[in-house]
Amino acid sequence: MCMKKIILTLLAVIAVVVAVAEEKKDVTQKEWVFRVAAGYNLGGTAPLPLPREIRSIDGFNPGLNYALEGSVQKRFVGTPWGVMLGLRLETKGMETDARVKNYHMEAVNSDGNGKVVGAWTGMVKTRVKNNYISMPILATYSIGNRWTLSAGPYIAWMFDGEFTGEAYDGYIRDQNPTGEKAEVTSAVYDFSSSLEKLHYGVQAGGEYRATERFALYANLQWGLNGIFPNDFGSVTFDLYPIYATLGFAYMF
Amino acid sequence: MIKKSFLLLILPLSLCVSCIQDEAPNAECDILAVEEAWLEENKDIIIGTPIVQNDRVSVMLKIGTDRTALNPSFVLTEGATLTMVSATGQEVDANGVVRDFSTPQVYTTHSEDGAWKKEYRVSFAYPNMLNTLSFEHFVLDGAKNKYYRWVELAENNVDTLNYWASGNAGFAFTGVGTTPSLYPTSVSGEGVNGNCVKLTTSDTGLIAQLNKKPIAAGNIFIGEFNSENAMKKPLEATRFGLQLVDKKPSTLSGWYKYTPGEIFTDKDKKEVVGMRDECSIYSVVFEVDPKDFVPLDGSNILSSERIVMVAQVENPGEPKDWTYFEAPYKLREGKIFDNERLKNNGYAITVVASSSKAGDFFEGAIGSTLYIDEFAISWKNE
Repeated sequence: MCMKKIILTLLAVIAVVVAVAEEKKDVTQKEWVFRVAAGYNLGGTAPLPLPREIRSIDGFNPGLNYALEGSVQKRFVGTPWGVMLGLRLETKGMETDARVKNYHMEAVNSDGNGKVVGAWTGMVKTRVKNNYISMPILATYSIGNRWTLSAGPYIAWMFDGEFTGEAYDGYIRDQNPTGEKAEVTSAVYDFSSSLEKLHYGVQAGGEYRATERFALYANLQWGLNGIFPNDFGSVTFDLYPIYATLGFAYMF
Repeated sequence: MIKKSFLLLILPLSLCVSCIQDEAPNAECDILAVEEAWLEENKDIIIGTPIVQNDRVSVMLKIGTDRTALNPSFVLTEGATLTMVSATGQEVDANGVVRDFSTPQVYTTHSEDGAWKKEYRVSFAYPNMLNTLSFEHFVLDGAKNKYYRWVELAENNVDTLNYWASGNAGFAFTGVGTTPSLYPTSVSGEGVNGNCVKLTTSDTGLIAQLNKKPIAAGNIFIGEFNSENAMKKPLEATRFGLQLVDKKPSTLSGWYKYTPGEIFTDKDKKEVVGMRDECSIYSVVFEVDPKDFVPLDGSNILSSERIVMVAQVENPGEPKDWTYFEAPYKLREGKIFDNERLKNNGYAITVVASSSKAGDFFEGAIGSTLYIDEFAISWKNE
């Protein structure tokens, strides 16, 4: 027992010494730092706050969403500050299963034949899977040699998006809560073609350098415009993509 | 560090879950039913079961009973209230209040959240047997996208009797019917005499097609369309028949013309090559339990064991011009028309016309058009 503690302590001391030694030739002491990063996006495309019509969220599947990024950071030598410009290929998606009450919905017959309008009470399954090319422009701030914080805006172009779902086990009332009522076992919808292409938001996060060139990082991306245009009537509240990214980066 | 990251991730999610807001009060304001207890008390004057629709309640009264002082009470959506305008012009509580039903009475329902209200016309009407059915009396119905609904007139020639039904209330959900004439069942001014009914097998639009209801046949029938079942169990939405039989029927006659659509499609809207659409016109008389009226529906309208007589236009063909038909009521094998049962309101009758005979299975040709006019039922005096 005692031996084990000693060995562990020794290992720890060695690790610290190696780390300190490495810091002298630290890649992050350079003026220009390049990164390639891979991460996992986890989050939701959600209305904020959740409207009263949503009564419960019975299922949530974050799905497999990757984020691949290359970035260049310019450090202002002698200060903790820097700027970073990135280019990120990423997916933001999820599946939810929610129970709603008296939820106003509209769906346009895309052949121009009028539209379905009603108040829906029942279950709604939603699947979002949007692929973006994002460009964050960040300010960076280093704390010591291991921590770097970053924050700033991003813009993103959605090049491929899916927004589909199913309304099931409920009923619709024609136009509004006083209209004719019809029970529905299952009705599917697909609003993919109505998705907004251009997005923007803010992100903030931190990076922990575990070894000289490898770092773990976490970011929170907060979308500031809804995924549908403002005049889109089928989803009456704005849905904002809010995703956290967790991953690792290689610096050179 | 990893732990911290996960905390970061979990934080926004837990924020979301914790912000489910308090449930809003009900926005709906329906008359769901006539109170069971009230019906039981008044079972001696009522024929069959009340028909409760989205904005009207129709109760059939036995001929000779008094309807000048009835106090019906209704089951409402939870939290909803029911009012009427009193003699002094004030809005007062109406549930269980005595009213004179010599003409239909208006009730207003109010939702629990106070944001919505709806007017209901409640009628207690004496049956008016089906003789000449000229299709001259129709009203506009529906929340926004209005559609036609046909009525018969009561003996006073003013009050309307809600005997006719169609699938229009179901078609309203597709959004396709932006004007009344775009509905499968609509009015045409080019009748044999005045107006007639135009039945058109129609495209239901992409959303309905996505949900496996690609077409809607134009249809009209004596009975009730239950829109609640229109999407879930469409065969059960068409509730055929009313207890309007006081004699033995002998012949159904009338006028029609028919042009089938070009392309016959199946329930998946796939073309069935070589298949020709066909219209259907028939009338069915069937047995009912006077104490517990159960209509026929799309699943058994021509196959039920309860069917006693059927009058049908056989091989209707495709007449381009108005064509007269006479179809005798034929007894089904092993059935008799029983006078005892007749006296006890034990028979119901329906008259059905459709622009695609397999329309209830969503099979037919878009564009098939059936015009009908001046129907009549002749009855035997025995």
